Amino acid sequence: MKDKYAIVGVGYTPQGKLPGRSSLSFHLEAGVNAIQDAGIDPKEVDGIICYRHFPPASGEKDVTPYLVAQHLGLKPTYLAQDAN
Amino acid sequence: MEKPRPVIGPDNAFFWEGCKRRQLVFQKCKSCGHVRWPPAHVCPKCLEYDWEEIVSSGQGIIYSYVIYHFPYHPGFREELPYVVALVDLMEGPRVLTNIIECDSSALACDLPVEIVWDEEGEIPIPKFRLRKA
Amino acid sequence: MHAVGVLEAGFCRAVLITYGHSARSSDSLLKMLTSMNADEAVFGHFGAAAGYALAARRAMHEFGTGPETWKHIAISQRKWANLNPQAVTFCEPMTEEDYFNSPWVVEPFRRADNCLITDGGRAIIVTTVERARNLRHPVVSIMGMGMHNPSAEVTMATHLTGPTGAKVAGEQALRMAGITIEEIDACEIYDCFTYTVEITLQDYGFFRRGEGRDWFSEGTIAPGGRLPVNTSGGLLSEAYQMGLTPLSEAVMQLRRCCGMRQLGPETGMKKYPEIILCSDNGGILQTHACYVLRRM
Repeated sequence: MKDKYAIVGVGYTPQGKLPGRSSLSFHLEAGVNAIQDAGIDPKEVDGIICYRHFPPASGEKDVTPYLVAQHLGLKPTYLAQDAN
Repeated sequence: MEKPRPVIGPDNAFFWEGCKRRQLVFQKCKSCGHVRWPPAHVCPKCLEYDWEEIVSSGQGIIYSYVIYHFPYHPGFREELPYVVALVDLMEGPRVLTNIIECDSSALACDLPVEIVWDEEGEIPIPKFRLRKA
Repeated sequence: MHAVGVLEAGFCRAVLITYGHSARSSDSLLKMLTSMNADEAVFGHFGAAAGYALAARRAMHEFGTGPETWKHIAISQRKWANLNPQAVTFCEPMTEEDYFNSPWVVEPFRRADNCLITDGGRAIIVTTVERARNLRHPVVSIMGMGMHNPSAEVTMATHLTGPTGAKVAGEQALRMAGITIEEIDACEIYDCFTYTVEITLQDYGFFRRGEGRDWFSEGTIAPGGRLPVNTSGGLLSEAYQMGLTPLSEAVMQLRRCCGMRQLGPETGMKKYPEIILCSDNGGILQTHACYVLRRM
């Protein structure tokens, strides 16, 4: 598998102390920016992995890969929640 | 605020029942003799289920220790600074505990310690102190 | 790793990996810390810092390392962050005095040994090299990868002072990449605490057991050093975007778009980096992943 796969998009968000923003909003902004950075059609994204999982903050939704897919308007083949 | 107290469930009930008798109790595998900790449904060494209780001597050595200076839980604010340690017991298990009744500057890895029961709450909590040579 | 699995299996063409956490401003992190193991909470033991501190204290005993070694890690990474406008600590230099004045959190760790807690997010997209060739950026490929998970909590762990999962995962990754450790130009290490950098680099084989004390003392990992490490400032000084902090920084370095902190002539290196090693770990050194990335 050497040199068979590549990292083609990297998405950043503002970072530091940013009160009033939900965890989900950071997932989405980073995801949109990664898609734009890669320059691919969002429809090409057919797998979503949410990296790590934390208890939802008070007043926030639990961040799941299907929630991320829904908000990005995607219908992926594969969804997972994992570290590494 | 109150300190967290033992939460007894199906896996650790034998341990806290032992503490009520001021005994430090562990699971010893009937098949391979491995003394396991933390509580486990199956022996991680041989994957057999049957076990018997053994009572520890309460003697061990400090594998490692840290000194809390930050109140992660308001119930421990008054205790700061306090010592959390990993103690290797003679019977094998390594337990997470507190070292009490000592100046933290006197601590070092590999020093011998012995059990001392903290009677503050409803269930006695097994803690340790330096053992005099 | 999982992204590559589903690509290799043919289930997917492009996988988006996202991370986001209102870790600093919300109560989510506090909920996680206080929902920890009740058997440990009885003894006032909470969170990851103290677990790693237990490992680090044992390392002081076995290797003779400690704050005098970790200060080099904290200060070197801060120097990198001071070259990175996106870093939370961009405008905050750290001197040796600052390090030693930093308050104890869980001794032997000071606040300066702990990663930042930040609000924010990060994402990456993984696809085939074939597809990548038709996209806009230079291709950064996954040359090798490995995982190893000792999976034991601190009371069972025999690996707190190594070998951690880094040893086997690192060997797997280098074997797949077909290179030796000497060919690595820089490292982006998951640095939840300063000690994690020491033990991870030791287990990868950059120095022998117990040689960290000397190895770190020569500005080795700082800008201009022999082996640049955590060139964005890392989790300690850039921002805590988990394992995506190291991975995204490696990609950006290999694309050569890192401005003042760009490895190469900008920071006193003869050439631009071609191969960068990244790590990720979870739990108290319980899980480990290693990635070798290169510019094709």
